[in-house]
Amino acid sequence: MTSSLAKAATRTKVRRPGGLEPFTLISIVGVALFMIACLIPFWVIISGSFTDEQTLAVKGYSLLPQPFSVAAYKLIFTGPTLVSAYVASVFITLVGTALALSFTSGLSWVIARRLPYVSRPLAIFAYIPMLFSGGLVPLYLLVTQYLKLQNSYFAVILPLLVAPFLVFIQVSAFRQLPEEILDSARVDGAGELAIFFRIGLPLSKPILAVVGLFYAVHYWNEWFTALLFMSDVHKYPLPLLLQNLISNVSFSQMLPTAAQQTTPVYQLRLALTVVTIGPILLAYPFAQRYFVKGITLGATKG
Amino acid sequence: MTNRTVRSGLWLAVLAVPAVVFFLVFSYAPLAGLVVAFKEFDISKGIFGSPWNGLANFRYFFSSGDAQRILLNTIVLNVLFLAATLAAGVTLAIMLNEIRGRFFKRAAQSTIFFPYFVSPVVIAIMLQVLLSGPNGSGGVVNDALTGFGLPTVDWYTEPGPWPWILTFVKVWQLGGYMSVIFLAAITSIPEDVYEAGQIDGASRAQMALRITLPLLKPTAAVLLVLGVGRIFYGDLGTIYAIVGDNGTLFPTTDVIDTYVFRSLRQIGDFGTTAAIGLFQSVVGFVLVSAAVLIQRRYSKETSLL
Repeated sequence: MTSSLAKAATRTKVRRPGGLEPFTLISIVGVALFMIACLIPFWVIISGSFTDEQTLAVKGYSLLPQPFSVAAYKLIFTGPTLVSAYVASVFITLVGTALALSFTSGLSWVIARRLPYVSRPLAIFAYIPMLFSGGLVPLYLLVTQYLKLQNSYFAVILPLLVAPFLVFIQVSAFRQLPEEILDSARVDGAGELAIFFRIGLPLSKPILAVVGLFYAVHYWNEWFTALLFMSDVHKYPLPLLLQNLISNVSFSQMLPTAAQQTTPVYQLRLALTVVTIGPILLAYPFAQRYFVKGITLGATKG
Repeated sequence: MTNRTVRSGLWLAVLAVPAVVFFLVFSYAPLAGLVVAFKEFDISKGIFGSPWNGLANFRYFFSSGDAQRILLNTIVLNVLFLAATLAAGVTLAIMLNEIRGRFFKRAAQSTIFFPYFVSPVVIAIMLQVLLSGPNGSGGVVNDALTGFGLPTVDWYTEPGPWPWILTFVKVWQLGGYMSVIFLAAITSIPEDVYEAGQIDGASRAQMALRITLPLLKPTAAVLLVLGVGRIFYGDLGTIYAIVGDNGTLFPTTDVIDTYVFRSLRQIGDFGTTAAIGLFQSVVGFVLVSAAVLIQRRYSKETSLL
């Protein structure tokens, strides 16, 4: 099942007799149009981020950056606010993903090994939060009144740490490991923990990559918990900084400006958007096949 | 299992402890916090020290006049999102399945899947670029309208089109993702069904409509049922990122989640917002449970537990 998508991509269902049927033609055009629709917004943003602020303000956005300007990018990489936002996002993503992945793996392994009296109750325990949640208010009170995590990166990391959906993806992947290998290690005298660390995890690298990537994207894009729990602008992660630039133009006053010069707000907003998507864009070609594997696995297991 | 393996097995459960602690603190403890819904919450007295006030918070919300609009918006928007993304997913999967060139197919899949990874904030900015220029009016869409000699629209002050705009956003965001799920389902359709169709002289279009589409029904049903269970949960991240505090758009875009969030931040009315949250959770729970039960009946193998 895991490779079904790879198969889907390579297998041609039925050999078509010569000639292009109208339906195939319509399909090609349809898919191409959707592809263009997916790409154009990115293109307009990238192009806009290199367009001179004055031109943006007068003529609006265009498909070619003219006159070409890198002013906004210069600002981004010299201003402390933006650098600290990048640092915040990187910290939240790296630490969050590492913690999330290890917590998720541990739990999933125990569920996947089908221990009597343990695995099934644990599965239900992890499943209930998907059905019933306390909602925003109790979470807010918990983080601010009891854990006192305001303005800490952990206020973003901790509430989102274990995603039940990803637990179930990992459980089904762990269950596909051949039991014989684990048994032979037991015969050789390896303890259960040694089996997990020395055999289970190394054999599960692909699924660890899938789940890790899902967590990483989810932390990189996270802005809502940051909005809830962060008031110190210098601790804002990138998406929240962006959100602030949308809703609040005067926020741009916090940004560094050359003497007497006005900040290129619109260009900056677009440049910051590009900088925010950047890492995903770069990692995407490598990550994409893993993601496909992950959701295919998730889809078949519910 | 022998006694020895059971004992070493219990040791193994240590691995689950961190995650269990996480769920206890961040998922189960907040459930206890829901008592705030029945209290006149005073932050200085804490959750358990505040006085009870029975159902007053619920009454306040349901008599406020906001309730009807918000519930309606939540349902209308989620139904639109669900229907549109499922339809887009099926259509894209069937179309992708028609494409022979391996390179084009790969490129297409990668491209249409990508929006799934984009933060709602980035989507909000893209939408601004498309719908309103830097100077307020304008924007790419309005430029196009002018090009065709049509009147421009001041999108961010018109609540009318927003359910459709948000639906477009959802299709853009999730169409590729959904298509991957359906494409996986298409792959598991046995080859000989198509061969039989070919012998009977079916065209590609006929095969897609008469064979592929009906055989995708179970997958669509599972996704539909799961989606129905989620109907009471607005997509807070996306909708709030796009609409923000733009009150002109609330008549069509304000959903339970955004309403709760706004009242919490602006008014700080913990009791009422907790009451709405509890109401949402209970209705959501009933819907999810019903959905899971129906799904279990429908197909045993794909059931959730």
